[in-house]
Amino acid sequence: MEENILTTLKILIIGESGVGKSSLLLRFTQDNFDPEQTLTIGVDFKTKILNVDDNIVKLAIWDTAGQERFRTLTPSYYRDAQGAILVFDVSNYSTFTRLGNWLDELDIYSTKNNIIKMIVGNKIDVQHREVSREEGFAFARRYQTLYIETSAKTKDGVQSAFEELVRKIIQTPGLWDSFQNDNIHVGGNDQRNKSGCTSYCTLT
Amino acid sequence: MNEEIDDSEFYHEDFTTASSWEILVANMEEIVHQWKSDKQHEKTPSSWDIKSEKLIYMDHNFDFTLYKRTAKECSMSENKPKHVLEEYYDFTLENSNSQDALCLFDWYGLNEFIVCSTAGRIEATNNESKTKILLSALTVLVNNMNLDIPAFVQIQEKWQKVYCGVYCSNGIRTNFDIVHLKRGPHYCQNLTGLLQLFKSKICSPCSIENITVSCKLTYQLQEFENFCNVSKDIINLGSLFKLPLGLTTSPVKTLSLHAVWSCLSEHSVIDSDSQTDFVLMRAQQWHCNVEFEDNLLCLLGDCLSEYLSILNNHNTIYDILGDYATSNTPEMNPLDVLTEPAVPTISSLIGKATKFRPKRRRQRYALIPDETLVTLLYFLFPDAAESGTVPYGVQIEHLPRKYTIINNRDEELNNIKTCNQESLVWRLSLVLSLCLQNFGGLKAFCHLWYEFVQEMRYRWENGIPIPGVSNKMPDLRTCLLNQKLQLLNCCLDRKIAPETQKFASAENSEDEEFFDATDDLDEEKRKEKYSLWDKPVGRLAKFNDLKLIKTGDPLYIPCTQDPVLKTEDQLDEDADMLLKLGSDNEASELRARIMSASLLSDMESFKAANPGAILEDFIRWYSPRDWIEEEELDEYGQKKGSLSDRMKLDNNIWVEMWENSRPVPAHRQKRLFDETTEAEKVLQFLDLRTVSQIVELVIPVLSHASLERVLDEMEYFPMEIPHSQTRAISLLKHVQAISRDSKCDIKRFEIFMQEITALELQISQISFLQSTLNPENIEDEQINNMIVAFVLGRNVNIENKERSIIGARIMELFKLHTQKTFNMAPNELRDRFDQIHPVPAQKEFVLRTDCIRPNLHSCQSPQFLRAILGRNEFRLIGAFSEDTSFF
Repeated sequence: MEENILTTLKILIIGESGVGKSSLLLRFTQDNFDPEQTLTIGVDFKTKILNVDDNIVKLAIWDTAGQERFRTLTPSYYRDAQGAILVFDVSNYSTFTRLGNWLDELDIYSTKNNIIKMIVGNKIDVQHREVSREEGFAFARRYQTLYIETSAKTKDGVQSAFEELVRKIIQTPGLWDSFQNDNIHVGGNDQRNKSGCTSYCTLT
Repeated sequence: MNEEIDDSEFYHEDFTTASSWEILVANMEEIVHQWKSDKQHEKTPSSWDIKSEKLIYMDHNFDFTLYKRTAKECSMSENKPKHVLEEYYDFTLENSNSQDALCLFDWYGLNEFIVCSTAGRIEATNNESKTKILLSALTVLVNNMNLDIPAFVQIQEKWQKVYCGVYCSNGIRTNFDIVHLKRGPHYCQNLTGLLQLFKSKICSPCSIENITVSCKLTYQLQEFENFCNVSKDIINLGSLFKLPLGLTTSPVKTLSLHAVWSCLSEHSVIDSDSQTDFVLMRAQQWHCNVEFEDNLLCLLGDCLSEYLSILNNHNTIYDILGDYATSNTPEMNPLDVLTEPAVPTISSLIGKATKFRPKRRRQRYALIPDETLVTLLYFLFPDAAESGTVPYGVQIEHLPRKYTIINNRDEELNNIKTCNQESLVWRLSLVLSLCLQNFGGLKAFCHLWYEFVQEMRYRWENGIPIPGVSNKMPDLRTCLLNQKLQLLNCCLDRKIAPETQKFASAENSEDEEFFDATDDLDEEKRKEKYSLWDKPVGRLAKFNDLKLIKTGDPLYIPCTQDPVLKTEDQLDEDADMLLKLGSDNEASELRARIMSASLLSDMESFKAANPGAILEDFIRWYSPRDWIEEEELDEYGQKKGSLSDRMKLDNNIWVEMWENSRPVPAHRQKRLFDETTEAEKVLQFLDLRTVSQIVELVIPVLSHASLERVLDEMEYFPMEIPHSQTRAISLLKHVQAISRDSKCDIKRFEIFMQEITALELQISQISFLQSTLNPENIEDEQINNMIVAFVLGRNVNIENKERSIIGARIMELFKLHTQKTFNMAPNELRDRFDQIHPVPAQKEFVLRTDCIRPNLHSCQSPQFLRAILGRNEFRLIGAFSEDTSFF
């Protein structure tokens, strides 16, 4: 399988502290859930090989600390990422309102201008939701990102979230192939944005 | 040939029944069959569809080639003439000189033909009997297959372009024949003589009366005055902002004006030794084309290729500068003079510069002269001069663009990973190019880099900020060189910031506390509690109204260390190191420990600012989401709470670190980021670059600047350059890729260079023609189209001849040219200037007729003769047909 790998993609997971970024990653990479996951310090990463539509890609997923104080440290690792997962906690409204700041941060520090962004509402297993799916949708539509809801605890949506992100990255010309094939259409920016608007997944 | 033998394999086995000549014919037939069954290539980019096969005959290799005009090019295909020569055609408007054999199209007007020529360049079929053998093979082929295509054999030397051919159709056979001489016989120099020759060659039993004559006279203009001289000595400040673009010499080799007469009756014109009707002004049509010089030096392309040529030079600048750089004592460096802490006046600077010159003169030869160097350095560091320089960030006003080449140009160009146009790195790359191209090549290039590095060091040592570089953290969306300079500027900033200012806030907060204490006597008592070594230090500000859980003192945010700054190469190293650890849990923990240096530093600062604080206090500031509040209030009136579950875990790295940390204020801690070391690293990095590494740093910016230059040129150009959009977008793609390649991709840069040079050449050609043919810059679609057609190598029909703008201008050019040569003539001749006409460089006649041949009872067949009379060439191109019936 190793030799058939199409490319290695760098994916970021960002968001407020305690929204379940590391749990999401643990669920995806090891299909495991640890309620006693420690706080991430700085950045950490995991790898996984994923097959999306017969394209085998290797993912290097960088997990970041959400604390304010680490913000001077973590953005350095945003470099050259092709995809970003912005996580919020559906049971905590403040984590949702902070998403705007995280998007700004991405715009400032990501070096690829067409990086694929995905907003993930995590912890949908909890009884009391503070952020409705409609609100999440509206936000994602406004910022032209992908949107998906997950639960790292019950496994819901985790696999599809990563698959969907990777699919989108592969479909975006010039993002992952690093200009090897000259199939980049410079004028195609508008088109990309348009397609970004319509691609929401309602997987829960 | 034997009828029953249709299997070609048979021939190879049985040599007794077939001669090698028969095999040759069979092979030819096979190839032609193959071509016929081949599908038409629908999308051939050129106007000719060319298929070629190899043949071997008598140990010689031959190319057997079919030339066919693509369908869209020959519009007359619908009503195909009976005979190939009957196609109405005299002089082509196209220049199809790309392929040798296509001259047959130019001469005979053939749309489809087969050529058999010796393979390779040197060999030629100059043996007559060999020629005859080949020609008879072709004749058999044409007859056997009933082939409606003329077939030719190339004979004599290849450059002579001499062919013999045969064509059979409807009982008429046409023989094609060419004569090529250096100088023709005197009786063939005019129409009268040629007509006689034509008639005697036809040798018809009846008299020939109906010959039509076409004529083309070619006038050539060759010496074009130089139009752009680049002075290499004077640098003007404005020119430093732009990369060079254009040519240093005239791109035009020859401008040819063709006077054309078509299909006249032989009796209506006279052209003999003594008299001629063929005079330029009386021509039916004027055609014009322009031939351009090969191998022209394009300044921008040359600049890029200069870089390419030193890309593999792995010497350091010290290797190249030798004594100059090493023996130079600091005070002899003109840069030190340039950037004295107190900004010097220009006069004092020039004074000092000249003072040192006698000493230095001896050491330098190919290096940049002082005056030039000072100008260049003021351009790079405008803050060193009081006036007369252009500081960074001054917007140059743009005229409205004439064309939009790339939509959202600014946005698209911002995606290039280089730097701002108003930055030091940008200017540096322009100046380096200038040095490389104009001021002495590699040595000057290294010299400038050396001076630049010296200046960086000087500024670091003397705490002078670097202009044209932002002092924010290194922007990873810019090129590496820019990041390095940003880092250096950040270090400078931290160095300059006075020590007192750094810790002023800490003292202030103590003052503040003092005032608090006067308000509340209890506070004062509590203050006494602090022992001498437990005094709070390094406080920044109060954190909301939070109070320490154990003591009830206000919770202070500590002064913390400045963030660590890194450039992309350092980050890559870090990330690599982290990646190498692997992705298991153990590695994760190890990574956490590596990353925890800043956490430890913050904890220690926090402890120093908040004596008596516990982990819970720290977490409330550092990671508020891990502090779960309860409704109940504690003794100090704030909500009680507890740490989150994950914080309470055993062996938690946070707890462990909290226990191990000591109260140390930020300014006494081990530095996370030591500006002195980091600045020294940057300076070393700059200093120790090899030539090749410097080029790699500069190439992205240079490519970007070249693209900007070409785009600017095209956007304000008087007319649209052909395919400008596609070409610009292709260039943009290259630049984006070049700027993002982590390792310089030489091939890509070469392609980029070729594309940009081709575009530059075309721009220069067009602008030269524009200034020559349309000096008043008249806005006229037709003129613009003509100029573009010239550049594309087409022959252009000038409507209204000398009455059109272009026609009049061309006449003027011819007159000017004649006048120049004429000026040397005696005065009395000069008065008759108007009567002087240019002399044609080449005459071309086409004679056609239909006549009965070879016998009185034969049917009419077309006869054709083209004569080309040049200064150094005489060529007769004939095609004579005869009826094959009954004989």
